[in-house]
Amino acid sequence: MLTVENLRVVYHDVISVLNGMSLEVRDGEILVIIGANGAGKTTLLRSIAGMIDFYDGDILEGDIKMDGVSIKGLDATDIMKRYNLTYVIEDRPIFWYLTMEENLGAASFSRWDSKVKTDIARVYEYFPVIKQLSNRKAGYASGGEQQMLAIGMALMTKPKVLLLDEPSLGLAPLITEELFNIIQRLNQSGITIMLVEQNAHAALQIGSRGYVMEMGRVVLDGQARELLNNEDVREFYLGSGKRERKSYKDAKRYKRRKRWL
Amino acid sequence: MADFLQALGSGILVGLVYALLGLCIVIIFKASEAFNFAIGEFLVIGSFLFYMLFFDLRIPFLLALPLGLLAAGLVGALIERLTIKPLLGRSPISMTIVTLGLGFLLRSTVQLIWGSHTYSFFLDLPDITVIAGDYLFLSDPIWAGILSIITFALVLGLLFRTRWGLAIRAVSESQAKAMAFGINARFILLIIWGISSVCIAVAGIMISNFGALAAGSGIVGLRAMPVVLIGGMDSIVGALVGGIIIGVCESLAGTYIEPMGLIGFKDVAPYFLMLLVLFIRPYGLFGTVRIERV
Repeated sequence: MLTVENLRVVYHDVISVLNGMSLEVRDGEILVIIGANGAGKTTLLRSIAGMIDFYDGDILEGDIKMDGVSIKGLDATDIMKRYNLTYVIEDRPIFWYLTMEENLGAASFSRWDSKVKTDIARVYEYFPVIKQLSNRKAGYASGGEQQMLAIGMALMTKPKVLLLDEPSLGLAPLITEELFNIIQRLNQSGITIMLVEQNAHAALQIGSRGYVMEMGRVVLDGQARELLNNEDVREFYLGSGKRERKSYKDAKRYKRRKRWL
Repeated sequence: MADFLQALGSGILVGLVYALLGLCIVIIFKASEAFNFAIGEFLVIGSFLFYMLFFDLRIPFLLALPLGLLAAGLVGALIERLTIKPLLGRSPISMTIVTLGLGFLLRSTVQLIWGSHTYSFFLDLPDITVIAGDYLFLSDPIWAGILSIITFALVLGLLFRTRWGLAIRAVSESQAKAMAFGINARFILLIIWGISSVCIAVAGIMISNFGALAAGSGIVGLRAMPVVLIGGMDSIVGALVGGIIIGVCESLAGTYIEPMGLIGFKDVAPYFLMLLVLFIRPYGLFGTVRIERV
């Protein structure tokens, strides 16, 4: 189980992004995190994966624990190797100038063993598209193919916990659906998934639990199904809910959001 | 005509050494987008390390060369660890500026240790001078060309045939992505600097063998600048082609233009050529064709 306790993160010593963030990721679940832009979702993932100092951020307070052991301050590669935690950066973190196959090879750098070939075959099984394009430079692939490759690369690192940062970014609805089906399949194969998404509706449908983040805090949490039906979530993140025209005063949503805190 | 072919041939041989210098700049530039202005000092340090082993300690050449190169690689890696690593993730400009300062520091350090007088540097490699009709190619440049091309090929093999090379290429594209996939970008950067220092040392030893070695010989390292600017800052092929172009350009200028009374034009000609190329192709001849998705 991955737990984040009261995390405070600051960029460049001044920009406070996470202000006392706490959550837990239970083994075997799909945890969905939703929140507006700038709520600190990506920062949270960076902190967990040990990459926060690369972006000139600092963890001021709080702790990140993996099964009770603190992983705060460890190097990204150490966290990946020792705790099998893989972070898929947002916006398709693939190497554009390498071929698809080389990409998969590069991702398995941390664990070069005899099983790499079989694992590549397994990734091809999940994503048949990648196999067809395996000798093409990844930069020329379409957005959907690139995102599949990114997840395939993450699989090459043999993760137990997978942090996905907006995998649906810029993808067509049909592709997103396919991608989420695959994420679900991965979860069924035993990988714990922490999914950060703007596409809240689709994400909450495959998720088991969810957190709503705002201003670097958790403002709401619960079962994914409950969140889907929660009136505030519906209005602010799903775009459904009340449809009638509102006055300008109501449009200042932050005033209403304050109630959650 | 004989003059021309003679100049062309010797130009290519020297050009291969320049290509190696260019390669050292290119692999570092690809990995961290920083230009290593301290290349001349790396060159001198690499040569002196070999000098100590071969001339002072009288270790046989075949043993002294790998040992010297290893030492040069370790020094390069050490310098990276102390000066470049703290800047990882920061702007490449700051790394470039650091290498500028590093150049001065290293030059003074070399002077402190070895003094600023000239050391005679004669490797006494087997004589393979080629005399064919009107043509004469001296043994030293031929050795320099051969060793440079071997080193170049080894680096290429490492980059494109091994998993370490794959990791290096991945880090070259994006340190953040590489780190997220478990490639230790900091360590890879260390290795890149090590490899680069080894190549610079090879070039340095070959260049010193043409004449002599002194703390000031590092100036020849700056010849890498027109090489990479003509070839393209991020292209390995560019380094090879650029190096040969510079070598030939120098040699032709020496044969045809210097006798007209412009003594020293040989050293300026590459920069003229560089300006010309940059006017037409600002990214160099082989600068990256950026991938555009449609």
